[in-house]
Amino acid sequence: MNRQQGEQPVLISLPPAMATSSQFTRQLGCIRPLMKPQLFIQPQISRRSITSAFTPKPEPVPFPTTIPEQFLSQIPDRFRPHAPKKLKIYPPPPSAHAKCKDPIATVTESQLAVLDPTGERRALFDYRRSARSVKVGDILRVTFKNGDPFSGVCLSIKLRGIDTSFLLRNELTRVGVEMSVKAFSPNVESVEIVKRTEKRKRRARLYYMRKPKHDMRSVENIVSNYLRQKSALTGQRSANRKKR
Amino acid sequence: MIQLKTMLNCIDNSGAAVVECVNVLKKKRPATVGDRIVVVVQKQRNFGADSTGNSGIANKVRRGDIRHAVVVRARKEMQRPDGSLVKFDDNACVLVNKSGDPIGTRMNGVVATELRGRQWSKILSLAPMHV
Amino acid sequence: MPPRLSGSLIQLPFSLGAVNPQYILPATNSIRTFGIRSLNPPKPSRFNVSPNLPVLKSTPTAALERKAATLPLRTGVIAIKKGMSAIFDPETGKRIPCTVLQLDRVQVVAHKTRDVHGYYAVQVGSGWKHPKNVTKALLGHYSGQGVSPKRHVYEFRVKDESGLVPVGKLLNANWFQEGQYVDARSNSKGKGFAGVMKRHGFGGQDRSHGVSLTHRSLGSAGPSQGGGSRVYPGKKMAGNMGNEQNTVQNLKVLKVDVENGLVLVNGSVSGPRGCVIRIQDAIKKPWPTFAETTEATETST
Repeated sequence: MNRQQGEQPVLISLPPAMATSSQFTRQLGCIRPLMKPQLFIQPQISRRSITSAFTPKPEPVPFPTTIPEQFLSQIPDRFRPHAPKKLKIYPPPPSAHAKCKDPIATVTESQLAVLDPTGERRALFDYRRSARSVKVGDILRVTFKNGDPFSGVCLSIKLRGIDTSFLLRNELTRVGVEMSVKAFSPNVESVEIVKRTEKRKRRARLYYMRKPKHDMRSVENIVSNYLRQKSALTGQRSANRKKR
Repeated sequence: MIQLKTMLNCIDNSGAAVVECVNVLKKKRPATVGDRIVVVVQKQRNFGADSTGNSGIANKVRRGDIRHAVVVRARKEMQRPDGSLVKFDDNACVLVNKSGDPIGTRMNGVVATELRGRQWSKILSLAPMHV
Repeated sequence: MPPRLSGSLIQLPFSLGAVNPQYILPATNSIRTFGIRSLNPPKPSRFNVSPNLPVLKSTPTAALERKAATLPLRTGVIAIKKGMSAIFDPETGKRIPCTVLQLDRVQVVAHKTRDVHGYYAVQVGSGWKHPKNVTKALLGHYSGQGVSPKRHVYEFRVKDESGLVPVGKLLNANWFQEGQYVDARSNSKGKGFAGVMKRHGFGGQDRSHGVSLTHRSLGSAGPSQGGGSRVYPGKKMAGNMGNEQNTVQNLKVLKVDVENGLVLVNGSVSGPRGCVIRIQDAIKKPWPTFAETTEATETST
């Protein structure tokens, strides 16, 4: 009960069940208004003191150089006198990737050096770069290593590095025959342009020429004419070829 | 890609003109050049006038006959070892007997060179042209 | 209760004080001099116990013995798939499609040994990773072994300690010789979440005949009562397809370019361009005979 009396100025209300204590509050009720302003003013003063008072920034205390052994575990690693050694990072060996950024091109080049040492065949089909190359719509004659020739109109040229190929279409014994030939195949002995197209074709792939309406039919006559002319010009060698 | 129901041209002088594939032998896939197939003769070659002239040839097969045949041209392109592709504008075959000899004696039309690798050299030699 | 407890407590120090129990216990176990003794002498075990029994099959030793025939003698290397090309044979005129693989700074990083790890393997790393992107623990591993931080690290099992190439040795493209056969191991191209028709080749359902909204789905996932009213584990369903390890066996090495670190293998290898490929001697072909391997290791060390 004594403790409760002491606390009374702070307590605003007490449970009504405690009849004895409520009597005390009623007696001391007149003090309450006197106490309140005092409580209110006091924090204001203290706050003002915080804002107005100037406290200089504390000087940085230098880290003690000598610390007893037993306190070392309490401070961060970097402040300890014997910080863990820095890992030795080894430099990488010379990179093959940096040396050879495009291995596919490297492989292609090494192949072309064997299959097309003069670069002639490459120039013949690289229609993007060389102006004298084969264009779609031209009539070509391919001679293979085993001796069979094949001639036809060029429907498309696919530039794919070592796999560069061209598609020829002809009609043999009234049956359409198409042959896609790899330009750099070692089986291809020679590629000749029999006749160039009169007008530049407006398409890269002349697949419409498979339709009966646009089909060129057989090009054998044009090719045989060309071979005759050629044999007249060069003589014996081409005549032999014609026989085949 | 010759399979059941594929119609092929018959390019020999056995008397058949158009045949229909009813079975592909020795493989589970569509037939291509050099494969042996079973066919039904659907159309005979001008049996009217010519049959009297060279009846021995024209009468070798009749419409509805079931025969073995070898595919000699295919519309599906085939790849050669050097990466080149060959394709024809039609599917064609040559009729053969059970022992593998061609029924006809002459052939008209180009055939594929792949026949040589498949032991069909006889057909290849009969053909006027090969690619 | 309390008196009994105290009694036992009193007895314990007393007995301890008299004789050391640790010393006397085994002796008392073997020859019991007190209590009820068995009339029958102990029988030998009726199970198969004898000194000449074969080695059990479920031991690590037996496991290594079993694997000995299929474990390569030499370690493999890590390569990067660079794409596909073709090689023409000038004599025969044949075109051989090939995959171009590049070896980039492939080094032996660590060993796994029978004594420590239970098996023999070579840890191989390739490429280079900036040290700031490597965790401290891994960095310690690399610097402890004296190699630079690696981008890719893989283990290759070898048969015995003769296959353990010294740590830090650079494995160049001439680790393989032209004409030998290799196995290429890599992750296939990821196809994402695929339905059953694409993933397992299911037939799907009818376009019509009353089928609505389930044309590409699987039919039933199993029977009702016969299957225990549950779906069996391993039921083929839709899910992630691809991006799982695949091994292509017996690829012929067509060409080796040491300068550019290139290895050309016949045919295709799983995975997209730029993926990591592990190549090792083919296990289904005779092991390649290498005279230079021993020389190469000597020079490097």
